[in-house]
Amino acid sequence: MPPRLLFRAPRASHSRSPVVVRVRLDRRFASSSANAPEVYDVVCVGGGPAGLSLLAGLKASPVTRGLKVALIEGQNIQKNRLSKDASLDSFSNRCSSLTPASVRNLQEIGAWSRVNAARVQPYQEMQVWDGVTDARISFDWDTARPLLSPRNPAQPTTIAYMIENTNTVTMLLSRLEELGGVDMFTSTKVSSIELGTDTEQMDFTSWPILTLSNGKTLAARLLVGADGANSPVRTFADIESRGFDYNRFGVVASLSIEGQGWGGPDHKIAYQRFLPSGPLALLPLPGNKSTLVWSTTPERAARLKALSPEDFVAMVNAGFRLSPTDLEYLHTLESGQAEEVAWREKHTPVNERAIPMRITDVESGTVAGFPLRMRHADTYTGERVALVGDAAHTIHPLAGQGLNQGQGDAAALVRTISHAVRTGQDIGSTLALESYNSERYAENNAMLGVCDKLHRLYSVESGPVVGLRSLGLRAVDAMGPLKNFFMSRAAGGS
Amino acid sequence: MRPHTSVRAIRSIQRCIRQPAQTQRPTLSQSLRLPYTATRAFTTTPTRPHNPSRSPDSTVDPTEVSHFNALASSWWDPHGSSRLLHLMNPLRHDFIASCRFNDPMTPSQKLKYLDIGCGGGIFAESAARLPDTHSVTAIDPTPGVLKIAEGHKRRDPLLMEPGRLTYLNTSIEDLPLPTRPEEAYDIVTLFEVLEHVNAPGPFISNLLPHVKPGGWLVMSTIARTWTSWLVTNVMAEDVLGIVPKGTHEWGKYVNEDELRGYFAKEPGWDGASARSLGVMYVPGLGWKEVKGGEDWGNYFFAVKRLE
Repeated sequence: MPPRLLFRAPRASHSRSPVVVRVRLDRRFASSSANAPEVYDVVCVGGGPAGLSLLAGLKASPVTRGLKVALIEGQNIQKNRLSKDASLDSFSNRCSSLTPASVRNLQEIGAWSRVNAARVQPYQEMQVWDGVTDARISFDWDTARPLLSPRNPAQPTTIAYMIENTNTVTMLLSRLEELGGVDMFTSTKVSSIELGTDTEQMDFTSWPILTLSNGKTLAARLLVGADGANSPVRTFADIESRGFDYNRFGVVASLSIEGQGWGGPDHKIAYQRFLPSGPLALLPLPGNKSTLVWSTTPERAARLKALSPEDFVAMVNAGFRLSPTDLEYLHTLESGQAEEVAWREKHTPVNERAIPMRITDVESGTVAGFPLRMRHADTYTGERVALVGDAAHTIHPLAGQGLNQGQGDAAALVRTISHAVRTGQDIGSTLALESYNSERYAENNAMLGVCDKLHRLYSVESGPVVGLRSLGLRAVDAMGPLKNFFMSRAAGGS
Repeated sequence: MRPHTSVRAIRSIQRCIRQPAQTQRPTLSQSLRLPYTATRAFTTTPTRPHNPSRSPDSTVDPTEVSHFNALASSWWDPHGSSRLLHLMNPLRHDFIASCRFNDPMTPSQKLKYLDIGCGGGIFAESAARLPDTHSVTAIDPTPGVLKIAEGHKRRDPLLMEPGRLTYLNTSIEDLPLPTRPEEAYDIVTLFEVLEHVNAPGPFISNLLPHVKPGGWLVMSTIARTWTSWLVTNVMAEDVLGIVPKGTHEWGKYVNEDELRGYFAKEPGWDGASARSLGVMYVPGLGWKEVKGGEDWGNYFFAVKRLE
């Protein structure tokens, strides 16, 4: 049974509620409450990929196009836009792997045609291996085909698309500008969210009323929280988000490698090596560029960030080549990793073709770290509230599913709103929103669980688990149909 | 103030609701005629806060307003006793859309609805929100439920637009007839009402003049079969006791073929246009269309008035 959300009575909220969002209404605004708030059908807080995708989806559909919608975003999103002629020598360190399902949705809402395609890199193969035992699994659509069936040339060969988040945001913004009809409040913060009052004319007691930093007040038939992991909308709605910190950091960086990759420009390969401290992943970008995600302990992350470019590059190369024991030692050094790694590599034979090409350089200023968390909101919906993206869930990045989950949320919420509009339901009512919650919650929960389990499984360095997980990987690798199933799931269904 | 009075308010509502149900006012019967599987929701309704220290006999609630608000929240509680009707509501629109599928309609043309026995306004509100709706007139003879409907309407500024949704406390007999047939309604709806009417024949003939030529009369009810008798009378009332005894009079149920027969003979009506759709509530899945279900359970029925 989905938990029911009860809003606090607005008057009681100061005394009883421990919740922080409410900066109390400025007296100025309170006294001007005779000026009724502007009424919107959908107010989306947060202009990240999930929120923008939702708005573009609503405006692209003839059923929901007529809704009055607003976007509130604290940052100046225009300023952060990717310029059309941005140099291919430089890539943002914030990249995501878009699944074919996400891309399909972006196509359906008319956004994908606006992407800066030169900066998108599809990849056709994944190499995943165990850093302790070297057991390996490779994914590509060719080996994943059903037994004995011939290769179907019509079948797409792309596993996923590497894309900078700024590219995703920019394409969605362009699409929204083309569609029009969204009141954009950018560089604008939400000062407070409170429930409305019962005036003689209208009963707004179930409506969230937002006061913005520019002094405007909006009443939201449906308030969408696309406002990230610390979602103020979620706090307002009193929805608990549970989870834990992994005590790991994700270190990201934009890297150059010595060539286009072992498969050439038309067959790009993503690599992930599970080390006991967390997975190390190198994902292909156009040309000889790649993006790094190295999940490791906070101490090691801090040290990696402090290294000189040469030592950092040496450490990443070592991360794909040397044993966990060697790496443990290297992580203790303040500097001088480059020489140390060069010496140790001579004594560690590796099959160069099975691991990524050698990294040659790191783009300055791109080494950064962020804490890894697992969080899941108790529910995605409340009366006149829906959560999408990181506001609803935060996932371990090892499967690259975070952004895709947000895209899936947005698409599902568009479907739910669309059905409600077609059948005359109040799109903010919990009844109308039920299908969104039931559709997305279970799916995201499963994905959160799988990624969490994988993380735990590979954190073990020795003992029977290590043998079993290697056996598991090898077994899956040998079975085409089973691999096909895993790949289809990773690709987002179908 | 409101939280203190809501418990008492709810009790008085419950009394209000119970009373008309026993006297079989059309609107209040709603949940009672759903099949047994559906009425499971009843068992979950008493989840609302209950304060035993407060006597229901103490002065009834202080203000009309708090009555009204609490009343509305009970009727419109998504997990309350009307849940199954809420869930059924989208199907009504789908059914109406399927009826009108072949009707010529210019984009500028907007529809006028008359909802008879509107209750708390579940269907009336939803019809009033549709973009191709001109107006909805919703009538019910029970003053109590109309207050609920009016109170809930105030929660949506769209519905407060002048002329969009009008509630009238009247019976169909007392609703003034249109002066000219073109001034009648495009769609007249009668959802979950017919089976609680003493004389369905005269009742239907009273509402026929309100349908515009070329318009539709759309209704939903339940067939008079041994299955419906078992479900609504024996199980719901006698065995489980979740429906007040005597709520349903199985003998009043109207079968689909009887409606068809009625309209086949009715001058001015296109008996050939009559269509029906059986529906059933499946726990976990919601309301589902069931082929042939009109012969033994809940069903929709629609018929068109000749141009």
